[in-house]
Amino acid sequence: MARLLVLLWSLGPMLWQLYTSLRPAEALSGGGAAAWTLANYQQLLQGDPPFLRYLFNSAVVGGCSTLLTLVLAVPCAYGLSRLGQRSSRTLTVLVATAAAFPAVLLFLALLELARDWHLANNLLALSLPYSGLCLPLAILLLQAAFRDIPLELEEAALLEGLGLWQRLRWVLLPLMAPAIASAALLVFIFSWNEYPIALTWLSRSDLLTLAPAMARIAGSSVYTIPYGAFAAATVLGSAPLILLMLLFQRQIISGLTQGALKG
Amino acid sequence: MPAPFADATTDLVEAFNRSHPQIALSVSRGPLDTEAMSDLAISSLLLGGSPYDLLLMDVTWTPKYAAAGWLEPLEPWLGQEALADLAPGAELGNAFDGHLWRFPLVADMGLLYWRTDLMDRAPRTPAELEQISRTLQARGDVPWGFVWEGKQYEGLSCVMVELLRGFGGHWLEDGELQLDSAEAVAATAWLEGLVNQGITPPSVANMAEPEALQAFESGDAALMRNWPYAWALLNRIDSPLRGKVGITTMVSEPGQPHAATQGSWGLALLADSPHKTAAVEVLRFLTSTEAQKQLNLRWGYTPTRLSVFHDPELLAANPVLHNLEEALEVSVLRPLTPVYAQLSDLLYRGVNTAISEAIEAPEAMAKLQTNSERLLQTSKGVR
Amino acid sequence: MRWKLWLLITPALALLLALFVLPLLHYLWLSTQAQSVLTGLQPRAVGAAQWLRLWNDARFWQDTWQTLRFSTVSVALEMLLGLAIALLLHQPLKGRTALRTVSLLPWALPTTVMALGWRWIFNDPYGPINGALSALGRNPIPFLSNPSLTWIASVWADTWKTTPFVALLLLAGLQTIPADLHEAAALEGASRWQALRHITLPLLTPYLLIALLFRLAQALGVFDLIQVLSGGGPAGSTESLALYAYLNAMRFLDFGYSATVMLGSFLLLVLLCGVAAIGWHWLERQRREAH
Repeated sequence: MARLLVLLWSLGPMLWQLYTSLRPAEALSGGGAAAWTLANYQQLLQGDPPFLRYLFNSAVVGGCSTLLTLVLAVPCAYGLSRLGQRSSRTLTVLVATAAAFPAVLLFLALLELARDWHLANNLLALSLPYSGLCLPLAILLLQAAFRDIPLELEEAALLEGLGLWQRLRWVLLPLMAPAIASAALLVFIFSWNEYPIALTWLSRSDLLTLAPAMARIAGSSVYTIPYGAFAAATVLGSAPLILLMLLFQRQIISGLTQGALKG
Repeated sequence: MPAPFADATTDLVEAFNRSHPQIALSVSRGPLDTEAMSDLAISSLLLGGSPYDLLLMDVTWTPKYAAAGWLEPLEPWLGQEALADLAPGAELGNAFDGHLWRFPLVADMGLLYWRTDLMDRAPRTPAELEQISRTLQARGDVPWGFVWEGKQYEGLSCVMVELLRGFGGHWLEDGELQLDSAEAVAATAWLEGLVNQGITPPSVANMAEPEALQAFESGDAALMRNWPYAWALLNRIDSPLRGKVGITTMVSEPGQPHAATQGSWGLALLADSPHKTAAVEVLRFLTSTEAQKQLNLRWGYTPTRLSVFHDPELLAANPVLHNLEEALEVSVLRPLTPVYAQLSDLLYRGVNTAISEAIEAPEAMAKLQTNSERLLQTSKGVR
Repeated sequence: MRWKLWLLITPALALLLALFVLPLLHYLWLSTQAQSVLTGLQPRAVGAAQWLRLWNDARFWQDTWQTLRFSTVSVALEMLLGLAIALLLHQPLKGRTALRTVSLLPWALPTTVMALGWRWIFNDPYGPINGALSALGRNPIPFLSNPSLTWIASVWADTWKTTPFVALLLLAGLQTIPADLHEAAALEGASRWQALRHITLPLLTPYLLIALLFRLAQALGVFDLIQVLSGGGPAGSTESLALYAYLNAMRFLDFGYSATVMLGSFLLLVLLCGVAAIGWHWLERQRREAH
């Protein structure tokens, strides 16, 4: 019973989107029983630029941000976990504060930054603020996971003459894989969905990421409100994420557990 | 430019690129929603190094953009007589502070759509409108009488501009705000009353143009306030209302003018454009008589040039062209000020408060007047 | 050795510093300036005028109240529902993996996307809810045109979207609780409710706190959901602080004031967190003394 409720609560709205996306416009405003149609999808895929372009852009930004975040967060988390109690604690509190900061408040400053440094309309540059915004959460997560790895392991590696870099690469990273995977997924999902910064940094329509592109479909047709097209866009836009979740659901949870976020 | 205009000008752009091989013109599709379009334009202008040379602008943006220093005055390029051929009404709202900042591509004004199959003639006064609606609703012909744009957004300000005039009031006249006048309160109270009496559905408080059109097109309302674009849509081959719709201007109290809010879109030259000469060439081409004729014939957009309104070929093809010209003649501008966005934000919030049943019209308008006065006071202080 | 550790830490910290501290300093400066369309977008020093304006701005305080109300109610709902779902997903049920994936999905979708979806679901009269009502011969519910209903709709949509995030964090927390603790409790004849109250919840506290912190911060900055779902209307009843700051900057071109609004809401947030932290400490002390 409870399971059914959860299913209905989570899936209901999405199934409704799927249904809407397969119906012609007339059927939506109460006009008779029209046939099923793929027209909404056709319209999206043949749009200018085609919808796949947005998916591609989002994937590029998501990929870059994830990579950059990990490159910065993994060493930082390691450093923090091996640093003396006092400085590590202070820094962790600071990072946690940053994590709790509502990111929307930054958009105006980021806009000026983009202007002064010519970062606008550049998908790679967009991953800079994204990484920055994701760093706190990633650091907290990874740091806790690093702390869970027994120090003896590292000491043994030290005795064998492995340098800091080699220890990280060959001993610690493999152990950290689940935590890293879940951090990566969190960052990717964040970048995929981010809206306010993308809205202000991207003005060329062929560079739009998914979220602002979706908001724009809201007004792409004068005929009626293009709910069918919205819904089709929703389905197409979430399909990759649903796939990711299906593939990595186990990793996210086990990674988070490994991270164990001991606040 | 907004997507529909981008679609409509595709052919013109191709023609231009063929006849001007030294200039490469391409059009960027923006969102349809005026406010989303403004967000996009502003963020690209704020970011600097804007990829655009010309911008298709709503009439209300002109003072704001000009004051921000984003636009290039057009009179050195087009000459002082540039507006001479414009139809009465269309010349408004292009100049500010003594300079010409944009040239209208298409005219746009608020219209009252009515069902010719349900009533003999369109209502001309508020009382008639209520009367006709009630009769039709009582007969069960339509669930609702009249739909309009009542959402908290610019469209509601446009409706209000028409009704303020229709009830004999003003928004901002000679620098004086008159929103708490008896006439202004009456206009708001009338809208509020429409909802309370069930002539307008309560969902109007969240209705923008597409929602209003959806309700009207599916036969759920007998009257609608909307822009000229709806005419072409309602007369599509597969439209259930094809040939059953008439257009006129908004109702008004006896002795008061029937007003139509002017909402034209026009091209402006951006100050930091590196290709100004070429851009002006494009502007001339897209606003030419020939281009306007084509935009009207194929897409139903309202021309701005007088000669186009009187073109015999168009008159034959478009039965409502003279209605549009009449509406354009009585069109009214929204206040020309760089702080228009704030002013209008106050107006549509205030009126929306009254129609979503939160507070009564007199109170809403008194508060609106105070807030608007404070805004103008603050902006004077800054200047 | 130590300097190597610092070398590892510095790049990330530098980016964080650049991203969070510099903007705040910039806003602090901007809030003493009049930089708007009226000054030709050039900054001009005006001292504390913007702060005075903020203090006297009824709309700022109305939005503050609305944002707080939205955040408290939706976060409270999310915590309760999230806990319930986490407990359910923690049990060894048939089809647990599938259920977990499905229940996490809403959180993975872009907010703007689902906000549009909800706008359609709540549509009056053509949306599915009202469609069903009219099929039953009932009057439609004006979800997005009545201030209170729109507020409920926004809380509803936000809860739907972010409950999975809370559930995910709590589920991770539940998995760190050793199973034998519960077995021991069961042997001693504790009811499920007692086990939840005395074993699970205390051990879950750090996770509850983290979820609360993150969610509260995000909810207080709510922007995209509101912008797409209701645009702040009707009658300004769902406008949030972030939306107000956005309007000031991008629609009204009043950057000085927009920065003041953002800084003002940030200070309120800090104040709120401070009060919460002090209250928490006080509670902890009381509890320890009671033991």
